[in-house]
Amino acid sequence: MSITLGHYLALAAMLFTIGLAGALTRKNAIIVLVAIEIMFNAAILNLVAFWHFKVFTTLTAQMFAMFSIAIAAAESAIGLALVIAIYRHYRSVDVDEMKTLQG
Amino acid sequence: MTTAFWIISAVTLLGAVLAVTLRNLVHCVLALILFFLGIAGHYFLLRADFLGVVQILIYIGAVAVLILFAIMLTRNVTGTEGPREVFGLKWWSGAATAAIIGALVLAAIRRDELSKLPTSTQANSSVLEIGKLLVTDWVVPFEAMAVLLTAALIGAVVIALEEVLRRR
Repeated sequence: MSITLGHYLALAAMLFTIGLAGALTRKNAIIVLVAIEIMFNAAILNLVAFWHFKVFTTLTAQMFAMFSIAIAAAESAIGLALVIAIYRHYRSVDVDEMKTLQG
Repeated sequence: MTTAFWIISAVTLLGAVLAVTLRNLVHCVLALILFFLGIAGHYFLLRADFLGVVQILIYIGAVAVLILFAIMLTRNVTGTEGPREVFGLKWWSGAATAAIIGALVLAAIRRDELSKLPTSTQANSSVLEIGKLLVTDWVVPFEAMAVLLTAALIGAVVIALEEVLRRR
Protein backbone atom coordinates (compact mmCIF):
# COMPACT_ATOMS: atom_id res chain seq x y z
CA MET A 1 0.00 0.00 0.00
CA SER A 2 1.55 3.26 -1.05
CA ILE A 3 1.46 6.40 1.04
CA THR A 4 -1.22 8.90 0.08
CA LEU A 5 -1.88 12.44 1.17
CA GLY A 6 -4.49 11.08 3.57
CA HIS A 7 -1.79 9.27 5.58
CA TYR A 8 0.01 12.53 6.25
CA LEU A 9 -3.22 14.38 7.03
CA ALA A 10 -4.22 11.63 9.48
CA LEU A 11 -0.78 11.71 11.13
CA ALA A 12 -0.95 15.50 11.48
CA ALA A 13 -4.49 15.26 12.90
CA MET A 14 -3.34 12.72 15.49
CA LEU A 15 -0.37 14.87 16.48
CA PHE A 16 -2.65 17.90 16.76
CA THR A 17 -5.04 15.93 18.98
CA ILE A 18 -2.17 14.83 21.25
CA GLY A 19 -0.98 18.43 21.52
CA LEU A 20 -4.50 19.69 22.24
CA ALA A 21 -5.04 17.06 24.94
CA GLY A 22 -1.70 18.00 26.51
CA ALA A 23 -2.46 21.73 26.44
CA LEU A 24 -5.86 21.17 28.08
CA THR A 25 -4.85 18.63 30.73
CA ARG A 26 -1.38 19.60 31.97
CA LYS A 27 -0.95 22.06 34.82
CA ASN A 28 2.60 23.27 34.18
CA ALA A 29 2.69 26.35 31.93
CA ILE A 30 5.93 25.24 30.27
CA ILE A 31 4.41 21.89 29.26
CA VAL A 32 1.39 23.76 27.91
CA LEU A 33 3.84 25.68 25.68
CA VAL A 34 5.43 22.35 24.65
CA ALA A 35 1.97 21.06 23.66
CA ILE A 36 1.35 24.22 21.64
CA GLU A 37 4.64 23.61 19.79
CA ILE A 38 3.41 20.10 18.94
CA MET A 39 0.19 21.55 17.48
CA PHE A 40 2.21 24.10 15.47
CA ASN A 41 4.38 21.36 13.99
CA ALA A 42 1.36 19.25 13.07
CA ALA A 43 -0.11 22.21 11.16
CA ILE A 44 3.15 22.91 9.32
CA LEU A 45 3.51 19.22 8.40
CA ASN A 46 0.16 19.55 6.59
CA LEU A 47 1.49 22.43 4.47
CA VAL A 48 4.58 20.48 3.41
CA ALA A 49 2.50 17.38 2.65
CA PHE A 50 0.15 19.44 0.46
CA TRP A 51 3.20 20.77 -1.39
CA HIS A 52 4.69 17.30 -1.89
CA PHE A 53 1.47 15.86 -3.30
CA LYS A 54 1.22 18.83 -5.67
CA VAL A 55 -1.94 20.39 -4.31
CA PHE A 56 0.17 23.56 -4.26
CA THR A 57 2.41 23.61 -7.28
CA THR A 58 4.73 26.48 -6.40
CA LEU A 59 7.30 26.79 -3.64
CA THR A 60 4.98 29.24 -1.85
CA ALA A 61 3.91 26.37 0.40
CA GLN A 62 7.46 25.88 1.64
CA MET A 63 7.84 29.64 2.11
CA PHE A 64 4.68 29.63 4.23
CA ALA A 65 6.04 26.75 6.28
CA MET A 66 9.34 28.53 6.81
CA PHE A 67 7.71 31.78 7.92
CA SER A 68 5.42 29.81 10.23
CA ILE A 69 8.46 28.18 11.84
CA ALA A 70 10.04 31.60 12.40
CA ILE A 71 6.81 32.98 13.92
CA ALA A 72 6.59 29.91 16.16
CA ALA A 73 10.14 30.52 17.38
CA ALA A 74 9.29 34.15 18.23
CA GLU A 75 6.11 32.98 19.97
CA SER A 76 7.91 30.45 22.15
CA ALA A 77 10.58 33.01 23.13
CA ILE A 78 7.88 35.48 24.25
CA GLY A 79 5.83 32.73 25.92
CA LEU A 80 8.76 31.45 27.96
CA ALA A 81 9.73 35.00 28.98
CA LEU A 82 6.14 35.49 30.21
CA VAL A 83 6.32 32.20 32.12
CA ILE A 84 9.53 33.36 33.83
CA ALA A 85 7.97 36.74 34.67
CA ILE A 86 4.87 35.00 36.10
CA TYR A 87 7.09 32.66 38.11
CA ARG A 88 8.88 35.67 39.64
CA HIS A 89 5.53 37.11 40.65
CA TYR A 90 3.64 34.04 41.93
CA ARG A 91 6.53 31.61 42.66
CA SER A 92 4.60 29.05 40.61
CA VAL A 93 4.07 28.07 36.98
CA ASP A 94 0.80 26.20 37.64
CA VAL A 95 -1.80 27.47 35.16
CA ASP A 96 -4.61 26.65 37.64
CA GLU A 97 -3.18 29.15 40.12
CA MET A 98 -3.11 32.06 37.65
CA LYS A 99 -6.61 33.30 38.38
CA THR A 100 -6.14 36.89 39.51
CA LEU A 101 -8.40 38.14 36.70
CA GLN A 102 -11.11 35.61 37.50
CA GLY A 103 -12.99 38.15 39.69
CA MET B 1 9.09 5.36 1.18
CA THR B 2 6.32 3.26 2.72
CA THR B 3 8.46 1.58 5.40
CA ALA B 4 10.25 4.82 6.21
CA PHE B 5 6.90 6.59 6.60
CA TRP B 6 5.59 4.09 9.17
CA ILE B 7 8.82 4.00 11.19
CA ILE B 8 9.20 7.79 11.31
CA SER B 9 5.50 8.21 12.09
CA ALA B 10 5.77 5.79 15.01
CA VAL B 11 8.78 7.68 16.38
CA THR B 12 7.00 11.03 15.95
CA LEU B 13 3.82 9.88 17.67
CA LEU B 14 5.80 8.28 20.51
CA GLY B 15 7.75 11.50 21.04
CA ALA B 16 4.55 13.58 21.08
CA VAL B 17 2.75 11.27 23.53
CA LEU B 18 5.74 11.11 25.88
CA ALA B 19 6.25 14.89 25.71
CA VAL B 20 2.78 15.58 27.10
CA THR B 21 2.55 12.66 29.57
CA LEU B 22 5.94 12.27 31.30
CA ARG B 23 6.20 13.56 34.88
CA ASN B 24 9.79 14.82 34.80
CA LEU B 25 9.89 18.12 32.89
CA VAL B 26 13.40 17.58 31.52
CA HIS B 27 12.32 14.18 30.18
CA CYS B 28 9.38 15.94 28.53
CA VAL B 29 11.75 18.19 26.61
CA LEU B 30 13.92 15.20 25.59
CA ALA B 31 10.79 13.50 24.22
CA LEU B 32 9.93 16.78 22.46
CA ILE B 33 13.36 16.69 20.77
CA LEU B 34 12.53 13.15 19.55
CA PHE B 35 9.25 14.51 18.16
CA PHE B 36 11.03 17.40 16.37
CA LEU B 37 13.52 14.92 14.87
CA GLY B 38 10.64 12.80 13.61
CA ILE B 39 9.01 15.83 11.95
CA ALA B 40 12.38 16.72 10.35
CA GLY B 41 12.57 13.14 9.06
CA HIS B 42 9.14 13.56 7.48
CA TYR B 43 10.31 16.77 5.78
CA PHE B 44 13.30 14.93 4.30
CA LEU B 45 10.96 12.13 3.19
CA LEU B 46 8.70 14.72 1.53
CA ARG B 47 11.71 16.14 -0.36
CA ALA B 48 11.62 19.42 1.54
CA ASP B 49 15.32 19.27 2.48
CA PHE B 50 15.61 22.93 3.38
CA LEU B 51 12.71 22.76 5.82
CA GLY B 52 14.18 19.63 7.40
CA VAL B 53 17.43 21.45 8.14
CA VAL B 54 15.53 24.54 9.33
CA GLN B 55 13.46 22.31 11.61
CA ILE B 56 16.56 20.80 13.23
CA LEU B 57 18.35 24.16 13.55
CA ILE B 58 15.44 26.21 14.90
CA TYR B 59 13.39 23.70 16.88
CA ILE B 60 16.05 21.42 18.33
CA GLY B 61 18.82 24.02 18.37
CA ALA B 62 16.85 27.00 19.66
CA VAL B 63 13.35 26.21 20.93
CA ALA B 64 14.18 23.01 22.84
CA VAL B 65 17.21 24.63 24.51
CA LEU B 66 15.09 27.69 25.36
CA ILE B 67 12.47 25.48 27.01
CA LEU B 68 15.20 23.63 28.96
CA PHE B 69 16.52 26.96 30.24
CA ALA B 70 13.01 28.06 31.23
CA ILE B 71 12.56 24.84 33.23
CA MET B 72 15.89 25.36 34.98
CA LEU B 73 15.01 29.00 35.79
CA THR B 74 11.57 28.25 37.22
CA ARG B 75 11.94 24.93 39.07
CA ASN B 76 14.50 22.79 40.76
CA VAL B 77 16.66 21.22 38.06
CA THR B 78 15.00 17.81 38.15
CA GLY B 79 11.72 19.70 37.72
CA THR B 80 9.30 17.04 38.87
CA GLU B 81 5.71 18.14 39.31
CA GLY B 82 3.65 17.44 42.39
CA PRO B 83 1.48 14.34 42.79
CA ARG B 84 -0.56 13.56 39.73
CA GLU B 85 -4.30 14.02 39.95
CA VAL B 86 -5.27 11.73 37.11
CA PHE B 87 -8.87 11.35 36.05
CA GLY B 88 -9.96 14.59 37.69
CA LEU B 89 -12.69 16.68 36.05
CA LYS B 90 -10.08 18.79 34.23
CA TRP B 91 -8.34 15.71 32.82
CA TRP B 92 -11.55 14.12 31.56
CA SER B 93 -12.97 17.30 30.01
CA GLY B 94 -9.66 18.12 28.31
CA ALA B 95 -9.10 14.62 26.96
CA ALA B 96 -12.72 14.33 25.78
CA THR B 97 -12.55 17.68 23.96
CA ALA B 98 -9.34 16.68 22.20
CA ALA B 99 -10.72 13.23 21.31
CA ILE B 100 -13.92 14.68 19.83
CA ILE B 101 -12.01 17.22 17.71
CA GLY B 102 -9.53 14.55 16.58
CA ALA B 103 -12.33 12.15 15.62
CA LEU B 104 -14.13 14.87 13.63
CA VAL B 105 -10.96 15.81 11.70
CA LEU B 106 -10.08 12.16 10.99
CA ALA B 107 -13.63 11.50 9.76
CA ALA B 108 -13.40 14.51 7.44
CA ILE B 109 -10.04 13.28 6.08
CA ARG B 110 -11.49 9.82 5.40
CA ARG B 111 -14.36 11.25 3.39
CA ASP B 112 -12.30 13.73 1.37
CA GLU B 113 -11.32 12.86 -2.20
CA LEU B 114 -8.10 14.87 -1.89
CA SER B 115 -6.77 12.36 0.63
CA LYS B 116 -6.46 9.68 -2.04
CA LEU B 117 -3.74 11.54 -3.96
CA PRO B 118 -0.88 9.09 -4.53
CA THR B 119 2.80 9.80 -4.00
CA SER B 120 4.19 12.02 -6.71
CA THR B 121 7.73 12.56 -7.84
CA GLN B 122 8.37 16.02 -6.50
CA ALA B 123 11.54 17.77 -7.66
CA ASN B 124 14.68 16.37 -6.09
CA SER B 125 15.96 19.32 -4.16
CA SER B 126 14.38 22.74 -3.82
CA VAL B 127 17.14 24.42 -1.79
CA LEU B 128 18.57 26.42 -4.72
CA GLU B 129 15.16 27.70 -5.81
CA ILE B 130 14.20 28.64 -2.24
CA GLY B 131 17.42 30.60 -1.89
CA LYS B 132 16.70 32.53 -5.08
CA LEU B 133 13.07 33.19 -4.12
CA LEU B 134 14.08 34.50 -0.68
CA VAL B 135 16.20 37.30 -2.17
CA THR B 136 13.86 38.16 -5.06
CA ASP B 137 10.08 37.69 -4.76
CA TRP B 138 10.03 37.13 -1.00
CA VAL B 139 12.63 39.66 0.10
CA VAL B 140 10.14 42.03 1.79
CA PRO B 141 8.44 39.33 3.93
CA PHE B 142 11.89 37.93 4.69
CA GLU B 143 13.15 41.27 6.02
CA ALA B 144 9.88 41.83 7.90
CA MET B 145 10.38 38.43 9.55
CA ALA B 146 13.90 39.44 10.57
CA VAL B 147 12.59 42.64 12.18
CA LEU B 148 9.80 40.70 13.90
CA LEU B 149 12.24 38.14 15.33
CA THR B 150 14.54 40.89 16.61
CA ALA B 151 11.63 42.74 18.21
CA ALA B 152 10.30 39.52 19.77
CA LEU B 153 13.67 38.57 21.26
CA ILE B 154 14.29 42.07 22.66
CA GLY B 155 10.75 42.02 24.06
CA ALA B 156 11.38 38.62 25.64
CA VAL B 157 14.52 39.90 27.38
CA VAL B 158 12.68 43.02 28.62
CA ILE B 159 9.76 40.98 29.98
CA ALA B 160 12.02 38.44 31.70
CA LEU B 161 14.26 41.15 33.20
CA GLU B 162 11.49 43.53 34.25
CA GLU B 163 11.77 43.09 38.03
CA VAL B 164 15.56 43.04 37.96
CA LEU B 165 15.54 46.38 36.17
CA ARG B 166 12.99 47.85 38.57
CA ARG B 167 15.03 46.87 41.62
CA ARG B 168 18.01 48.97 40.55
